[in-house]
Amino acid sequence: MNDDKRSASLAGAGRLSGGDYTRVSISGAGKVSGDIKAEALRISGAGKVEGRTEAMQIAVSGSGVFGGEVVAEEMRVSGAARIDGMARVKELKCSGSYRVKESIAAEYVKVSGVLRVGGDLEADLFKASGGFEIDGLLSADKIEIRPGGRCYAREIGGAKIDVRRGGHRERGILLDGLVRMFSGKGIAELGATTIEGDEIHLEDTVADVVRGKRVEIGPGCRIKVVEYSEDLTVHSSAEVDKQQKV
Amino acid sequence: MDDDRYISKKEVLEQMGISYGQLYRWKRKGLIPEAWFTRRSTFTGQETFFPRDKILERIRQIKEMKGDHPLDDLADVITQQVNEKLQVAFDQLRRLQWFDDSVLETCKIDRSRSTPLTIHETLCVAVLSQLRRSARTEELSLVQRTLDERLDETLLDRMTEERLRLHLLRKRLSGAGISAEISLVVIGPETIVLDPEIERVETVDLKHMIERIKLDLAREAQGGSPEEAPGRETEEER
Repeated sequence: MNDDKRSASLAGAGRLSGGDYTRVSISGAGKVSGDIKAEALRISGAGKVEGRTEAMQIAVSGSGVFGGEVVAEEMRVSGAARIDGMARVKELKCSGSYRVKESIAAEYVKVSGVLRVGGDLEADLFKASGGFEIDGLLSADKIEIRPGGRCYAREIGGAKIDVRRGGHRERGILLDGLVRMFSGKGIAELGATTIEGDEIHLEDTVADVVRGKRVEIGPGCRIKVVEYSEDLTVHSSAEVDKQQKV
Repeated sequence: MDDDRYISKKEVLEQMGISYGQLYRWKRKGLIPEAWFTRRSTFTGQETFFPRDKILERIRQIKEMKGDHPLDDLADVITQQVNEKLQVAFDQLRRLQWFDDSVLETCKIDRSRSTPLTIHETLCVAVLSQLRRSARTEELSLVQRTLDERLDETLLDRMTEERLRLHLLRKRLSGAGISAEISLVVIGPETIVLDPEIERVETVDLKHMIERIKLDLAREAQGGSPEEAPGRETEEER
Protein backbone atom coordinates (compact mmCIF):
# COMPACT_ATOMS: atom_id res chain seq x y z
CA MET A 1 0.00 0.00 0.00
CA ASN A 2 2.64 2.40 1.06
CA ASP A 3 5.31 3.28 -1.46
CA ASP A 4 8.04 3.96 1.02
CA LYS A 5 7.67 0.52 2.61
CA ARG A 6 10.90 -1.35 2.41
CA SER A 7 12.50 -4.48 3.65
CA ALA A 8 15.67 -4.55 5.68
CA SER A 9 18.22 -7.07 6.67
CA LEU A 10 20.84 -6.60 9.36
CA ALA A 11 23.58 -9.15 9.18
CA GLY A 12 26.45 -7.54 11.05
CA ALA A 13 26.16 -5.16 13.92
CA GLY A 14 23.90 -2.32 13.08
CA ARG A 15 21.06 -0.04 13.82
CA LEU A 16 17.84 0.39 12.00
CA SER A 17 15.49 3.29 12.31
CA GLY A 18 11.87 2.56 13.13
CA GLY A 19 9.03 2.83 10.65
CA ASP A 20 7.05 0.78 8.18
CA TYR A 21 8.69 -2.27 6.65
CA THR A 22 7.71 -5.33 4.72
CA ARG A 23 10.28 -7.81 5.98
CA VAL A 24 12.91 -7.23 8.62
CA SER A 25 15.55 -9.77 9.38
CA ILE A 26 18.16 -9.42 12.09
CA SER A 27 20.79 -12.09 12.02
CA GLY A 28 23.70 -10.21 13.56
CA ALA A 29 23.42 -7.91 16.50
CA GLY A 30 20.89 -5.28 15.60
CA LYS A 31 18.88 -2.57 17.24
CA VAL A 32 15.78 -0.88 16.00
CA SER A 33 15.35 2.61 17.31
CA GLY A 34 11.75 3.68 17.80
CA ASP A 35 8.54 1.90 16.84
CA ILE A 36 8.49 -0.65 14.09
CA LYS A 37 5.69 -1.96 11.89
CA ALA A 38 6.45 -4.88 9.63
CA GLU A 39 4.78 -7.72 7.83
CA ALA A 40 7.40 -10.13 9.07
CA LEU A 41 10.09 -9.70 11.67
CA ARG A 42 12.71 -12.35 12.08
CA ILE A 43 15.37 -12.32 14.74
CA SER A 44 17.94 -15.07 14.55
CA GLY A 45 20.83 -13.14 16.06
CA ALA A 46 20.51 -10.75 18.91
CA GLY A 47 17.89 -8.14 18.20
CA LYS A 48 16.37 -5.35 20.15
CA VAL A 49 13.42 -3.16 19.33
CA GLU A 50 13.46 -0.08 21.48
CA GLY A 51 9.87 0.93 20.88
CA ARG A 52 6.56 -0.71 20.03
CA THR A 53 6.39 -3.63 17.61
CA GLU A 54 3.51 -4.43 15.31
CA ALA A 55 3.80 -7.28 12.85
CA MET A 56 1.86 -10.02 11.13
CA GLN A 57 4.52 -12.55 11.99
CA ILE A 58 7.36 -12.49 14.46
CA ALA A 59 9.89 -15.27 14.71
CA VAL A 60 12.63 -15.28 17.32
CA SER A 61 15.18 -18.04 17.15
CA GLY A 62 18.03 -16.02 18.65
CA SER A 63 17.48 -13.52 21.36
CA GLY A 64 14.92 -10.79 21.00
CA VAL A 65 14.23 -7.91 23.34
CA PHE A 66 11.17 -5.73 22.85
CA GLY A 67 11.13 -2.47 24.73
CA GLY A 68 7.43 -1.75 24.30
CA GLU A 69 4.13 -3.37 23.47
CA VAL A 70 4.12 -6.22 20.94
CA VAL A 71 1.13 -6.71 18.66
CA ALA A 72 1.19 -9.64 16.25
CA GLU A 73 -0.99 -12.16 14.48
CA GLU A 74 1.53 -14.86 15.06
CA MET A 75 4.65 -15.11 17.19
CA ARG A 76 6.99 -18.07 17.40
CA VAL A 77 9.84 -18.19 19.81
CA SER A 78 12.38 -20.96 19.79
CA GLY A 79 15.14 -18.79 21.24
CA ALA A 80 14.58 -16.29 23.98
CA ALA A 81 12.22 -13.35 23.88
CA ARG A 82 11.73 -10.63 26.44
CA ILE A 83 8.91 -8.13 26.22
CA ASP A 84 8.95 -5.14 28.50
CA GLY A 85 5.36 -4.17 27.74
CA MET A 86 2.18 -6.04 26.97
CA ALA A 87 1.86 -8.78 24.33
CA ARG A 88 -1.24 -8.95 22.13
CA VAL A 89 -0.56 -11.94 19.96
CA LYS A 90 -3.26 -14.01 18.30
CA GLU A 91 -1.23 -17.15 18.11
CA LEU A 92 1.74 -17.60 20.38
CA LYS A 93 4.01 -20.62 20.25
CA CYS A 94 6.97 -20.82 22.52
CA SER A 95 9.43 -23.66 22.60
CA GLY A 96 12.19 -21.47 24.00
CA SER A 97 11.92 -18.88 26.71
CA TYR A 98 9.37 -16.09 26.77
CA ARG A 99 9.20 -13.37 29.37
CA VAL A 100 6.57 -10.67 29.45
CA LYS A 101 6.64 -7.89 31.98
CA GLU A 102 2.94 -7.10 31.69
CA SER A 103 0.07 -9.27 30.41
CA ILE A 104 -0.56 -11.49 27.42
CA ALA A 105 -3.82 -11.31 25.46
CA ALA A 106 -4.05 -14.08 22.88
CA GLU A 107 -6.38 -16.53 21.21
CA TYR A 108 -4.09 -19.52 21.23
CA VAL A 109 -1.03 -20.07 23.37
CA LYS A 110 1.20 -23.11 23.23
CA VAL A 111 4.15 -23.38 25.56
CA SER A 112 6.62 -26.22 25.41
CA GLY A 113 9.49 -24.11 26.72
CA VAL A 114 9.28 -21.67 29.59
CA LEU A 115 6.98 -18.74 30.02
CA ARG A 116 7.13 -15.98 32.57
CA VAL A 117 4.32 -13.42 32.79
CA GLY A 118 4.24 -10.45 35.17
CA GLY A 119 0.50 -9.87 34.74
CA ASP A 120 -2.38 -11.99 33.41
CA LEU A 121 -2.52 -14.43 30.54
CA GLU A 122 -5.83 -14.50 28.71
CA ALA A 123 -6.55 -16.75 25.74
CA ASP A 124 -9.24 -18.95 24.24
CA LEU A 125 -7.02 -22.00 24.32
CA PHE A 126 -3.92 -22.46 26.47
CA LYS A 127 -1.68 -25.50 26.15
CA ALA A 128 1.49 -25.99 28.13
CA SER A 129 3.89 -28.88 28.33
CA GLY A 130 6.85 -26.90 29.63
CA GLY A 131 7.02 -24.66 32.66
CA PHE A 132 5.48 -21.30 33.40
CA GLU A 133 5.07 -18.68 36.04
CA ILE A 134 2.14 -16.28 35.80
CA ASP A 135 1.88 -13.70 38.55
CA GLY A 136 -1.76 -12.92 37.87
CA LEU A 137 -4.69 -14.77 36.35
CA LEU A 138 -4.46 -17.53 33.77
CA SER A 139 -7.80 -17.54 31.99
CA ALA A 140 -8.93 -19.48 28.91
CA ASP A 141 -11.93 -21.45 27.70
CA LYS A 142 -9.79 -24.52 27.63
CA ILE A 143 -6.62 -24.97 29.64
CA GLU A 144 -4.43 -28.01 29.08
CA ILE A 145 -1.35 -28.39 31.19
CA ARG A 146 1.17 -31.23 31.18
CA PRO A 147 3.67 -29.90 33.70
CA GLY A 148 7.18 -30.29 32.35
CA GLY A 149 8.72 -28.13 35.02
CA ARG A 150 7.49 -25.80 37.68
CA CYS A 151 4.14 -24.35 36.66
CA TYR A 152 2.50 -21.60 38.62
CA ALA A 153 -0.34 -19.14 38.20
CA ARG A 154 -1.82 -17.21 41.09
CA GLU A 155 -5.33 -17.89 39.81
CA ILE A 156 -6.63 -20.15 37.09
CA GLY A 157 -10.11 -19.91 35.57
CA GLY A 158 -11.96 -21.21 32.55
CA ALA A 159 -14.57 -23.61 31.24
CA LYS A 160 -12.40 -26.71 31.01
CA ILE A 161 -9.20 -27.22 32.94
CA ASP A 162 -7.20 -30.35 32.35
CA VAL A 163 -3.91 -31.00 34.12
CA ARG A 164 -2.16 -34.31 33.54
CA ARG A 165 1.22 -35.84 34.14
CA GLY A 166 3.71 -36.36 31.40
CA GLY A 167 4.92 -33.15 29.80
CA HIS A 168 8.60 -33.88 30.29
CA ARG A 169 8.35 -37.20 28.54
CA GLU A 170 7.37 -35.56 25.31
CA ARG A 171 10.34 -33.28 25.39
CA GLY A 172 13.86 -33.96 24.17
CA ILE A 173 16.80 -34.03 26.58
CA LEU A 174 18.11 -30.64 25.48
CA LEU A 175 14.89 -28.79 25.96
CA ASP A 176 14.28 -30.64 29.17
CA GLY A 177 17.61 -29.28 30.41
CA LEU A 178 16.61 -25.79 29.38
CA VAL A 179 13.30 -26.00 31.13
CA ARG A 180 14.89 -27.30 34.30
CA MET A 181 17.55 -24.64 34.18
CA PHE A 182 14.91 -21.92 34.06
CA SER A 183 12.27 -23.42 36.23
CA GLY A 184 14.19 -24.97 39.08
CA LYS A 185 14.90 -28.55 40.06
CA GLY A 186 13.09 -31.57 38.86
CA ILE A 187 9.71 -30.47 40.12
CA ALA A 188 7.02 -30.96 37.53
CA GLU A 189 3.84 -29.80 39.15
CA LEU A 190 1.28 -27.05 39.04
CA GLY A 191 0.77 -24.56 41.83
CA ALA A 192 -2.04 -22.03 42.25
CA THR A 193 -4.01 -20.34 45.00
CA THR A 194 -7.38 -20.81 43.32
CA ILE A 195 -8.53 -22.90 40.37
CA GLU A 196 -12.09 -22.36 39.08
CA GLY A 197 -13.78 -24.06 36.16
CA ASP A 198 -16.78 -26.05 35.03
CA GLU A 199 -14.92 -29.26 34.29
CA ILE A 200 -11.71 -29.77 36.14
CA HIS A 201 -9.27 -32.65 36.07
CA LEU A 202 -6.10 -32.24 38.10
CA GLU A 203 -2.94 -34.27 38.61
CA ASP A 204 0.27 -33.23 40.36
CA THR A 205 -1.35 -30.00 41.48
CA VAL A 206 -0.96 -28.04 44.69
CA ALA A 207 -3.69 -25.50 45.36
CA ASP A 208 -5.51 -23.76 48.18
CA VAL A 209 -8.98 -23.78 46.65
CA VAL A 210 -10.48 -25.66 43.72
CA ARG A 211 -14.04 -24.73 42.72
CA GLY A 212 -16.00 -26.34 39.94
CA LYS A 213 -19.02 -28.13 38.65
CA ARG A 214 -17.46 -31.51 37.93
CA VAL A 215 -14.13 -32.02 39.62
CA GLU A 216 -11.63 -34.89 39.45
CA ILE A 217 -8.70 -34.75 41.80
CA GLY A 218 -6.10 -37.17 40.43
CA PRO A 219 -2.80 -38.58 41.69
CA GLY A 220 -0.18 -36.32 43.17
CA CYS A 221 -2.55 -33.52 44.22
CA ARG A 222 -2.54 -31.63 47.49
CA ILE A 223 -5.60 -29.42 47.76
CA LYS A 224 -6.80 -27.61 50.86
CA VAL A 225 -10.43 -27.01 49.89
CA VAL A 226 -12.52 -28.40 47.06
CA GLU A 227 -15.96 -26.95 46.41
CA TYR A 228 -18.06 -28.61 43.74
CA SER A 229 -21.65 -28.33 42.58
CA GLU A 230 -22.21 -31.66 40.76
CA ASP A 231 -19.52 -34.32 40.99
CA LEU A 232 -16.29 -34.93 42.79
CA THR A 233 -13.88 -37.85 42.61
CA VAL A 234 -10.67 -37.96 44.58
CA HIS A 235 -7.83 -40.36 43.76
CA SER A 236 -6.55 -42.48 46.65
CA SER A 237 -3.09 -40.91 46.51
CA ALA A 238 -4.42 -37.34 46.51
CA GLU A 239 -4.72 -35.22 49.62
CA VAL A 240 -7.82 -33.09 50.04
CA ASP A 241 -8.23 -31.43 53.42
CA LYS A 242 -11.80 -30.36 53.03
CA GLN A 243 -14.45 -31.01 50.45
CA GLN A 244 -17.80 -29.39 50.21
CA LYS A 245 -20.76 -29.66 47.89
CA VAL A 246 -22.24 -26.26 47.22
CA MET B 1 -18.06 -10.56 53.86
CA ASP B 2 -21.40 -9.81 55.43
CA ASP B 3 -22.18 -6.86 53.31
CA ASP B 4 -25.34 -6.67 51.26
CA ARG B 5 -23.69 -4.53 48.67
CA TYR B 6 -21.39 -7.36 47.68
CA ILE B 7 -22.02 -10.80 46.29
CA SER B 8 -19.62 -13.73 45.96
CA LYS B 9 -18.75 -15.26 42.62
CA LYS B 10 -20.40 -18.54 43.64
CA GLU B 11 -23.67 -16.77 44.39
CA VAL B 12 -23.51 -14.87 41.10
CA LEU B 13 -23.17 -18.13 39.15
CA GLU B 14 -25.99 -19.73 41.08
CA GLN B 15 -28.40 -16.81 40.94
CA MET B 16 -27.86 -16.05 37.29
CA GLY B 17 -27.51 -19.65 36.15
CA ILE B 18 -24.19 -19.15 34.38
CA SER B 19 -20.97 -21.14 34.35
CA TYR B 20 -17.40 -20.33 35.35
CA GLY B 21 -16.49 -20.60 31.67
CA GLN B 22 -18.96 -17.88 30.73
CA LEU B 23 -17.93 -15.57 33.54
CA TYR B 24 -14.25 -15.84 32.71
CA ARG B 25 -14.97 -15.44 28.99
CA TRP B 26 -17.00 -12.30 29.58
CA LYS B 27 -14.21 -10.91 31.70
CA ARG B 28 -11.71 -11.60 28.92
CA LYS B 29 -13.93 -9.82 26.43
CA GLY B 30 -13.99 -6.76 28.64
CA LEU B 31 -17.68 -7.13 29.45
CA ILE B 32 -17.02 -7.23 33.18
CA PRO B 33 -14.58 -4.59 34.38
CA GLU B 34 -11.50 -5.66 36.29
CA ALA B 35 -12.33 -3.05 38.94
CA TRP B 36 -15.42 -5.00 40.02
CA PHE B 37 -13.37 -8.00 41.14
CA THR B 38 -12.53 -7.82 44.83
CA ARG B 39 -10.60 -10.66 46.41
CA ARG B 40 -11.18 -11.49 50.05
CA SER B 41 -10.07 -14.24 52.37
CA THR B 42 -12.99 -16.21 53.74
CA PHE B 43 -13.08 -19.35 55.85
CA THR B 44 -12.99 -21.43 52.67
CA GLY B 45 -10.01 -19.56 51.28
CA GLN B 46 -9.71 -16.79 48.73
CA GLU B 47 -12.98 -15.69 47.22
CA THR B 48 -13.96 -13.09 44.70
CA PHE B 49 -16.72 -10.59 45.40
CA PHE B 50 -18.54 -8.15 43.14
CA PRO B 51 -20.66 -5.06 43.72
CA ARG B 52 -24.05 -6.80 43.82
CA ASP B 53 -26.27 -4.46 41.82
CA LYS B 54 -23.71 -3.76 39.14
CA ILE B 55 -22.74 -7.35 38.42
CA LEU B 56 -26.28 -8.71 38.42
CA GLU B 57 -27.50 -5.96 36.12
CA ARG B 58 -24.53 -6.43 33.78
CA ILE B 59 -25.02 -10.18 33.53
CA ARG B 60 -28.73 -9.78 32.90
CA GLN B 61 -27.83 -7.38 30.13
CA ILE B 62 -25.26 -9.71 28.59
CA LYS B 63 -27.63 -12.66 28.71
CA GLU B 64 -30.38 -10.59 27.16
CA MET B 65 -28.25 -9.42 24.28
CA LYS B 66 -25.84 -12.24 23.56
CA GLY B 67 -28.37 -14.29 21.61
CA ASP B 68 -28.52 -11.66 18.93
CA HIS B 69 -25.04 -10.26 18.89
CA PRO B 70 -21.49 -11.59 18.84
CA LEU B 71 -19.70 -11.11 22.16
CA ASP B 72 -17.05 -8.91 20.60
CA ASP B 73 -19.66 -6.36 19.49
CA LEU B 74 -21.32 -6.43 22.88
CA ALA B 75 -18.25 -5.13 24.62
CA ASP B 76 -18.38 -1.93 22.59
CA VAL B 77 -22.05 -1.40 23.19
CA ILE B 78 -22.20 -2.21 26.86
CA THR B 79 -19.03 -0.62 28.08
CA GLN B 80 -18.73 2.46 25.94
CA GLN B 81 -20.56 5.62 26.69
CA VAL B 82 -22.61 7.06 23.90
CA ASN B 83 -20.41 9.35 22.03
CA GLU B 84 -21.74 12.83 21.79
CA LYS B 85 -19.95 13.08 18.50
CA LEU B 86 -21.50 9.93 17.07
CA GLN B 87 -22.74 10.68 13.63
CA VAL B 88 -25.11 8.71 11.56
CA ALA B 89 -25.27 8.92 7.81
CA PHE B 90 -28.82 9.48 6.74
CA ASP B 91 -28.93 6.72 4.16
CA GLN B 92 -27.50 4.37 6.76
CA LEU B 93 -30.39 5.19 9.06
CA ARG B 94 -32.92 4.60 6.31
CA ARG B 95 -31.78 1.02 5.97
CA LEU B 96 -32.42 0.16 9.60
CA GLN B 97 -35.32 -2.07 10.45
CA TRP B 98 -37.05 0.22 12.90
CA PHE B 99 -36.75 3.33 10.79
CA ASP B 100 -40.08 4.94 10.02
CA ASP B 101 -40.09 7.45 7.25
CA SER B 102 -43.24 9.21 8.39
CA VAL B 103 -41.71 10.72 11.54
CA LEU B 104 -39.01 12.67 9.72
CA GLU B 105 -41.11 15.76 9.37
CA THR B 106 -41.92 15.86 13.08
CA CYS B 107 -38.22 15.39 13.79
CA LYS B 108 -37.53 18.39 11.55
CA ILE B 109 -35.26 16.37 9.30
CA ASP B 110 -35.16 17.14 5.64
CA ARG B 111 -35.65 14.09 3.45
CA SER B 112 -32.97 15.19 1.03
CA ARG B 113 -30.47 15.89 3.73
CA SER B 114 -26.85 15.05 2.98
CA THR B 115 -25.11 15.82 6.27
CA PRO B 116 -24.97 13.12 8.93
CA LEU B 117 -27.38 13.02 11.86
CA THR B 118 -26.33 13.63 15.44
CA ILE B 119 -27.07 11.10 18.16
CA HIS B 120 -29.85 13.43 19.37
CA GLU B 121 -31.59 13.41 16.03
CA THR B 122 -31.12 9.67 15.61
CA LEU B 123 -32.56 9.01 19.04
CA CYS B 124 -35.49 11.25 18.24
CA VAL B 125 -36.22 9.34 15.03
CA ALA B 126 -35.98 6.04 16.90
CA VAL B 127 -38.22 7.10 19.77
CA LEU B 128 -40.82 8.62 17.48
CA SER B 129 -40.76 5.57 15.22
CA GLN B 130 -41.71 3.47 18.20
CA LEU B 131 -44.39 5.84 19.51
CA ARG B 132 -45.94 6.52 16.13
CA ARG B 133 -48.75 4.02 16.47
CA SER B 134 -49.97 4.93 19.93
CA ALA B 135 -49.32 8.67 20.03
CA ARG B 136 -51.17 11.52 18.39
CA THR B 137 -49.42 13.88 16.03
CA GLU B 138 -49.25 16.70 18.54
CA GLU B 139 -47.89 14.28 21.13
CA LEU B 140 -45.15 13.20 18.77
CA SER B 141 -44.13 16.77 18.35
CA LEU B 142 -44.23 17.26 22.12
CA VAL B 143 -41.82 14.33 22.47
CA GLN B 144 -39.63 15.83 19.78
CA ARG B 145 -39.53 19.19 21.57
CA THR B 146 -38.76 17.53 24.88
CA LEU B 147 -35.84 15.61 23.44
CA ASP B 148 -34.68 18.63 21.49
CA GLU B 149 -34.69 21.01 24.43
CA ARG B 150 -33.84 18.74 27.33
CA LEU B 151 -31.34 16.33 25.86
CA ASP B 152 -27.81 17.31 26.71
CA GLU B 153 -24.72 15.24 27.35
CA THR B 154 -25.53 14.70 31.04
CA LEU B 155 -28.96 13.39 30.25
CA LEU B 156 -27.55 11.15 27.55
CA ASP B 157 -25.14 9.62 30.07
CA ARG B 158 -27.88 9.22 32.63
CA MET B 159 -30.07 7.42 30.13
CA THR B 160 -27.61 4.56 30.03
CA GLU B 161 -26.39 4.71 33.60
CA GLU B 162 -29.75 5.07 35.30
CA ARG B 163 -31.72 3.24 32.66
CA LEU B 164 -34.09 6.14 32.08
CA ARG B 165 -37.43 5.79 30.29
CA LEU B 166 -39.56 8.22 28.40
CA HIS B 167 -43.18 8.09 29.52
CA LEU B 168 -45.98 9.49 27.44
CA LEU B 169 -48.99 10.26 29.66
CA ARG B 170 -52.47 11.68 29.29
CA LYS B 171 -54.80 13.23 31.80
CA ARG B 172 -58.41 14.09 31.27
CA LEU B 173 -59.87 17.04 33.08
CA SER B 174 -63.57 17.46 33.14
CA GLY B 175 -66.07 19.57 34.98
CA ALA B 176 -68.84 22.04 34.38
CA GLY B 177 -69.86 20.33 31.19
CA ILE B 178 -66.53 20.66 29.39
CA SER B 179 -63.65 18.27 29.25
CA ALA B 180 -60.12 18.57 28.05
CA GLU B 181 -57.24 16.21 27.74
CA ILE B 182 -53.64 17.15 28.28
CA SER B 183 -50.57 15.19 27.28
CA LEU B 184 -47.40 14.95 29.33
CA VAL B 185 -43.91 13.72 28.54
CA VAL B 186 -41.75 12.61 31.45
CA ILE B 187 -38.18 11.32 31.31
CA GLY B 188 -37.41 9.40 34.49
CA PRO B 189 -36.89 6.00 36.07
CA GLU B 190 -38.85 2.93 35.07
CA THR B 191 -41.33 3.11 37.89
CA ILE B 192 -43.04 6.39 38.46
CA VAL B 193 -46.12 6.71 40.62
CA LEU B 194 -48.92 8.62 38.99
CA ASP B 195 -52.17 10.03 40.19
CA PRO B 196 -55.03 7.66 39.36
CA GLU B 197 -56.43 9.90 36.71
CA ILE B 198 -53.33 9.78 34.57
CA GLU B 199 -53.28 7.24 31.77
CA ARG B 200 -49.97 5.85 30.56
CA VAL B 201 -49.92 5.78 26.77
CA GLU B 202 -46.52 4.23 26.24
CA THR B 203 -43.08 3.96 27.80
CA VAL B 204 -39.85 3.87 25.84
CA ASP B 205 -36.71 2.31 27.31
CA LEU B 206 -34.16 4.92 26.29
CA LYS B 207 -31.15 2.89 27.31
CA HIS B 208 -32.30 -0.01 25.22
CA MET B 209 -32.96 2.36 22.35
CA ILE B 210 -29.44 3.77 22.44
CA GLU B 211 -27.94 0.29 22.59
CA ARG B 212 -30.00 -0.80 19.65
CA ILE B 213 -28.94 2.17 17.61
CA LYS B 214 -25.29 1.49 18.33
CA LEU B 215 -25.55 -2.21 17.61
CA ASP B 216 -27.49 -1.76 14.41
CA LEU B 217 -25.06 0.83 13.18
CA ALA B 218 -22.10 -1.34 14.10
CA ARG B 219 -23.56 -4.24 12.22
CA GLU B 220 -24.61 -2.05 9.32
CA ALA B 221 -21.03 -0.82 9.12
CA GLN B 222 -19.84 -4.42 8.88
CA GLY B 223 -22.16 -4.96 5.95
CA GLY B 224 -24.65 -7.28 7.59
CA SER B 225 -28.35 -6.62 7.62
CA PRO B 226 -30.01 -6.25 11.01
CA GLU B 227 -32.36 -9.15 10.36
CA GLU B 228 -29.73 -11.77 9.91
CA ALA B 229 -27.81 -11.86 13.12
CA PRO B 230 -26.46 -15.34 13.43
CA GLY B 231 -25.53 -15.23 17.12
CA ARG B 232 -22.06 -16.60 16.95
CA GLU B 233 -21.96 -18.79 19.98
CA THR B 234 -19.33 -20.90 21.51
CA GLU B 235 -19.73 -24.45 22.66
CA GLU B 236 -21.14 -23.79 25.98
CA GLU B 237 -23.57 -21.03 25.36
CA ARG B 238 -25.67 -23.20 23.15
